Amino acid sequence: MAAAVSSEHFSNLQLLLKAPSKDAVRDVCVQSHRGTSHRLAESTATTFSISTGQAAQLVHSLHVLSHHVLFYNLSSPDQILALFPESFHSSLKNLITKILLENSPTWRTEALSNQISLPQLKELDWRVDMVTGSDSVSRMSVPTCLVQLKMEDPSAGGESVSAVTVELSRESLDTILDGLGRIRDQLSVVAGK
Amino acid sequence: MQLHFTKDVLPDSVSADFQNLNKLNEQQFLRLIEILFQFLLEPKETERFMQQLGEFAGEHGMSAGPLRNVMKSVLLMPQGALKKNLTVEQIKEDLLTLGLNEDKATHFSQQWGEHYAVLSRLAVGQTLMVNQLVDMEWKFGVTVGTSEVQKVGNIFLQLKLVVRKGNSTENVYMELTLPQFYNFLHEMERAKASMECFS
Repeated sequence: MAAAVSSEHFSNLQLLLKAPSKDAVRDVCVQSHRGTSHRLAESTATTFSISTGQAAQLVHSLHVLSHHVLFYNLSSPDQILALFPESFHSSLKNLITKILLENSPTWRTEALSNQISLPQLKELDWRVDMVTGSDSVSRMSVPTCLVQLKMEDPSAGGESVSAVTVELSRESLDTILDGLGRIRDQLSVVAGK
Repeated sequence: MQLHFTKDVLPDSVSADFQNLNKLNEQQFLRLIEILFQFLLEPKETERFMQQLGEFAGEHGMSAGPLRNVMKSVLLMPQGALKKNLTVEQIKEDLLTLGLNEDKATHFSQQWGEHYAVLSRLAVGQTLMVNQLVDMEWKFGVTVGTSEVQKVGNIFLQLKLVVRKGNSTENVYMELTLPQFYNFLHEMERAKASMECFS
């Protein structure tokens, strides 16, 4: 059973009644989900003709509500409506619920792609060369493979892209394919369950 | 002196060393060549090689020092021969040019012919590899929840690649989603197909 959002937040949300339009409500909901900032509080204060202090509290409460919905994956209107106290303004309640439901899939995808993780593989390139000579054998004909892996570390912030180039002999490539094949088999067993 | 296995001018001592081998009788020569090829097939076993030469010297009333010098000269040939992919006939010609007698030259070159495949594979194996992939470890699992989303069910795959960088190794860690994994597998299969075209 999802934990409750405190009534203090809902009384802050009533400030949305001062919004000039439904779009303004939608805007502030979406922006507050990302994070609460002084700039956001100021622009909300201006748009809604409320004090900056009140705007900051409103933005914070919206943030708490949208993250609560995200965390517990509340995906039906009833689940979200159930959070509101009895006395809450009915049309506003429906509007907020609608906005939250509209944005949930995007927010969920964003949260999952921004979660902590090892550096993520972004790009993979390869090339096969034919080695025709070396310092130990002047004439030879041995294929070799170069693989470049580009990785991005999301937790390092910004553009933290690193690249690694590895050289594989034919035997190594066969061994890798063996391993990858086993992973694929195990994955189909898991997926089949 | 025109030799197949090297274009360099060899010091006279090398030729003298090969001619010294003529003094050995057939049994002794066979045994010495056996010791030589054992070393060529396992080039890391230098201590064993030195020890066997010492024992050989003792058994046949020779001094170990000069024997080792002779072998040093003899070893010049296999290296050059592998590098230039010489045939058995060419090896024999070089040995005769250096002054080794007919029987011994024949025997040596025959032994060379027998071991050639293994020896050349060893030489190829010593070819430079940049950032060679030494090992790959992996694990996969399911992300159950995060701080932002309580219940999740995404499959992840984590890979650890061990890459040789000079004398030490470096570990590279990465994570792949399922689609990325299938793409990785697909690309590696394409790379393998490409390699097989050339064999």
